[in-house]
Amino acid sequence: MPKLSAVQQLYRRWLRRRIPPATTVTLNQRRIFILPTGYGMLFLLIAAMLFIGGINYENNLLLTFSFFLMSLFNVAILHTFRNLSGVTLSAGGMRAGFSGRHGALEVLVSAGPRRSHTSLWLQWPGSPAREMSVKAGEEQRTWLDIELIHRGRVFAERIRIESRYPLGLLRAWSLVDLDHWCLAWPTPIESAECPASGGDDDEGLHNSLAGNDDFDGLRSYIPGDSLRAINWKSLAAERGLQTKVFTDPAEGRRWLEWDRLAGMEPEMRLSSLCWWVLSLDEANQPYGLRLPDQEVAPAIGLDHKQQTLRLLALFGVQ
Amino acid sequence: MARVYQVPQHAFIWLITGSLLASIPQMMNGPVWIAAVVLFLQCWRVLVQRGRLRMPGRVLRISVLATAVGLTLYSYGTLFGPDAGITLLVCAFNLKLLEMNKMRDAYVVIVLNYFVLATVLIVRQDFLISLYVFVVLFFVTAALIGINQPEANIRARSQLRYAAALVAQAFPLMIFLFVVVPRVAPLWEMKSDQKKAKTGMSDSMAPGEVAELSRSAELAFRVQFIGEAAPKPERYWRGLTYSWYDGRRWSQALPQNISASDVVAYPSRFKPRWYSDLERSAAGPQYQYRIILEPTSREWLYAMTTPFIEQNNIGVVSDYRLISASPVTDSLSYTVKSYTRMPRGIDAPRWEKEFNLRLPAEGNPRSRAQAREWRAQAGSDDQYIARVMRMFRQQKFFYTLTPPPLGPDQVDDFLFRTRAGFCEHYASSFAVMMRAAGIPARIVAGYQGGEENPLGTHLLVRQYDAHAWVEVWLPESGWVEMDPTAMVAPERIESGLEQALQSQGSEFASAFNEAIGVSRLPILKQLASAMDYIEFNWASIVLGYDGMTQTELLKKWLGEVSPLRIALLIAAGIGIIGLFFAVLLLWRGRRPSLEWWQKEYWRLHSALRKRGVEIPDHPAPGRLVELVSAQAPAAAEALKQWRECYEGVAYRANSANLNGMNKTNSFDKQSLKRFRRIALRNIS
Repeated sequence: MPKLSAVQQLYRRWLRRRIPPATTVTLNQRRIFILPTGYGMLFLLIAAMLFIGGINYENNLLLTFSFFLMSLFNVAILHTFRNLSGVTLSAGGMRAGFSGRHGALEVLVSAGPRRSHTSLWLQWPGSPAREMSVKAGEEQRTWLDIELIHRGRVFAERIRIESRYPLGLLRAWSLVDLDHWCLAWPTPIESAECPASGGDDDEGLHNSLAGNDDFDGLRSYIPGDSLRAINWKSLAAERGLQTKVFTDPAEGRRWLEWDRLAGMEPEMRLSSLCWWVLSLDEANQPYGLRLPDQEVAPAIGLDHKQQTLRLLALFGVQ
Repeated sequence: MARVYQVPQHAFIWLITGSLLASIPQMMNGPVWIAAVVLFLQCWRVLVQRGRLRMPGRVLRISVLATAVGLTLYSYGTLFGPDAGITLLVCAFNLKLLEMNKMRDAYVVIVLNYFVLATVLIVRQDFLISLYVFVVLFFVTAALIGINQPEANIRARSQLRYAAALVAQAFPLMIFLFVVVPRVAPLWEMKSDQKKAKTGMSDSMAPGEVAELSRSAELAFRVQFIGEAAPKPERYWRGLTYSWYDGRRWSQALPQNISASDVVAYPSRFKPRWYSDLERSAAGPQYQYRIILEPTSREWLYAMTTPFIEQNNIGVVSDYRLISASPVTDSLSYTVKSYTRMPRGIDAPRWEKEFNLRLPAEGNPRSRAQAREWRAQAGSDDQYIARVMRMFRQQKFFYTLTPPPLGPDQVDDFLFRTRAGFCEHYASSFAVMMRAAGIPARIVAGYQGGEENPLGTHLLVRQYDAHAWVEVWLPESGWVEMDPTAMVAPERIESGLEQALQSQGSEFASAFNEAIGVSRLPILKQLASAMDYIEFNWASIVLGYDGMTQTELLKKWLGEVSPLRIALLIAAGIGIIGLFFAVLLLWRGRRPSLEWWQKEYWRLHSALRKRGVEIPDHPAPGRLVELVSAQAPAAAEALKQWRECYEGVAYRANSANLNGMNKTNSFDKQSLKRFRRIALRNIS
């Protein structure tokens, strides 16, 4: 996390008090800020110019026009506020990703039974905004990308929800913390030695993907082979389609073990384990994971992979 | 390069309507080329929106702008001043329509559109144009709403409806501000353009000129009597006096050693001695009235004798006239108190008497001789005046709009040969006869009479009511009004010009009617008078609302007018009006009629709340079921069925109109109710 200045910290604390984190937040006057936009200032400037013109020409209608612009602005405050107030934001689903890349979080935007909300813009700081309208009594869902800057739980920044509708003269916004986090798996890092035990090969498995030409684990592609098992590197090197072959350990129970990577940085160990999880999954090989405090029995499949990755992601995270 | 911003189709309609309508008044007022430029740019813009043309490049835009600048310079001789400024603004604004690459440009165009629309009110301020501006406001506001709604499938009409609501809601505060915001004195001197010569009185008069004026039915001013109205024969609206005669033309003039400031008093600032004397000698029936003068580009104002006024920038002249400190370029409203007898018992300054005796060294020998002869025969000035008046009454004089031309000795020619003329002929010859006999005399120019509006309580004085008469100085009475025209055509004074011309058997009476466009259709006449009634009230209430009226009104409300109190009043007003709309918009909201299954949802929602289940204010049905099932697993099964049923119903309802989906019987009201009951039973 970047260091925050004292002012920023104060501001965050104040925001936290004013709009405390919650999985569901309904916007009301406590939570909505409203200020004129640049166009609003231009609009007021023109009203002021007409006022001066009206005074100097002693022209009552110019004055009236100027007053009209001012009161339209005034009315716009209420309408802009109304367009945002009553919107309910809730935390939705989560799409995990590898640390250093992107994940996504789902945000549910729903309208109350009586009021529709037009042209709302949702955004996390530093990412492109998403526009949506919600009709009375309805709900819209959207996925917002989040940068996964570290492993573990990456908490989302406050969502900025903004609306300038109807006149664009004012901007009403709120900064909502949906207490929403995204799971960040370790960054997979390729390693040569498979930190695995089990089967008859106690020495561990060589990295079959290290680019060894003589590796007999590669054989020609046979129609029906899983696409995941194709060695794309060979294809790139114009050697035709080849399929990676892993030798099954005798008993088919391979444990990826934390302890086998002794001497490495903890994050490095996790990254390495992660890479092997992906590789083995890709090759449809059963694997288990053994961490100092937890373990997952060897298995295969998407759920298994998710569970394993989750364990890696949350290792050592409170 | 970023994608070029495309104005949404639903907003574009209003954008183009608003910008065109805001430019039309200027297209009609200004030189012809403006219309050509504006239409050219607008058409281009429409073709761009339709994908037929591209936005013009920079070179083209700059050359259009340069052309507009050149033409403005050609038409006005300057680039500054309101008229040239507005012309340039309208051109540049329409050109900006063709430089719309970003959303920002669209905003700028629309905000500018409001400004262009406001400039319409610099040129004209009548009720109809105000109504027009008001209507255009809807379109401009609708365009602004439109560009804030980027979705494609929106109906343009909904924006107009929303714009109408916004404009309507802006009105109460606007009216309040209009009433209470203090009218500050102008911050700096504004140089208004020299307006084109308007029909109306000028500062000199030659025979035939008032007759010419009589061919126009244009409004000169409106009069509203406060209290009793002056009877018709007393309605002489004095505007100017002409003291200088060159043998043909009468002009407004002062002797060389007298300056204008010696004869003008601004009573609201300072009352010189002659003014106090005038006030003391005022006598006769007294009338109070308000005049709303149409713009004249001249300083003089119209009022009955002897006028008194205390209004900023309006002065009283020592020949019982009113004058404005600056030319009247916008309609002006002023309230006057008049004593309809000429003041008595005050002496006129010597220069005034001498100046009003002057005649050219030669010319009109017959008239002069006649004057000297009759004066010698008459015992007194009064008898002599009666003798001259008798001449007009008894001899065969004609009152006509088209008198025959006169020779070099105009008065001789008129009195002894043609004997046909309009009021200026009678006034002029009468004044010459007076001066020739040693009686100081001057011509008074103004209007006489006025037509009563059948709906309102006001008079309309039109250009064809223009009139000229004479005032003579008699030592024992002071200045006395004389109207020789009344001797020739008494109907002129009693009933107005039309009657007078008809009774003279003039073939011009009907031609006159046609020329001034008096309608014969009664319904049109009624419509015109109704319109006039509105215009009158618009001018007197809205345009005439000035600092003085405001101060009086605020005094009534606040007791005492101080900046603090006004500030508090404004703040309170804004607060109260704002609060009213806040309550209207936010608290009550608009309650859309709910469908039966939506009501069913709310029934379930409130029943769950009552049973202490923790749920948000209005979760989606799916989420509601999820939350409740987690808290009360016993009800989960029933809730799942409820949700299925709800979604089935809601989906069917939403799409039934579209593709006539077959109705599934199990998704009906009864099942939904049943599942709700089962679920609730399982919770309690």
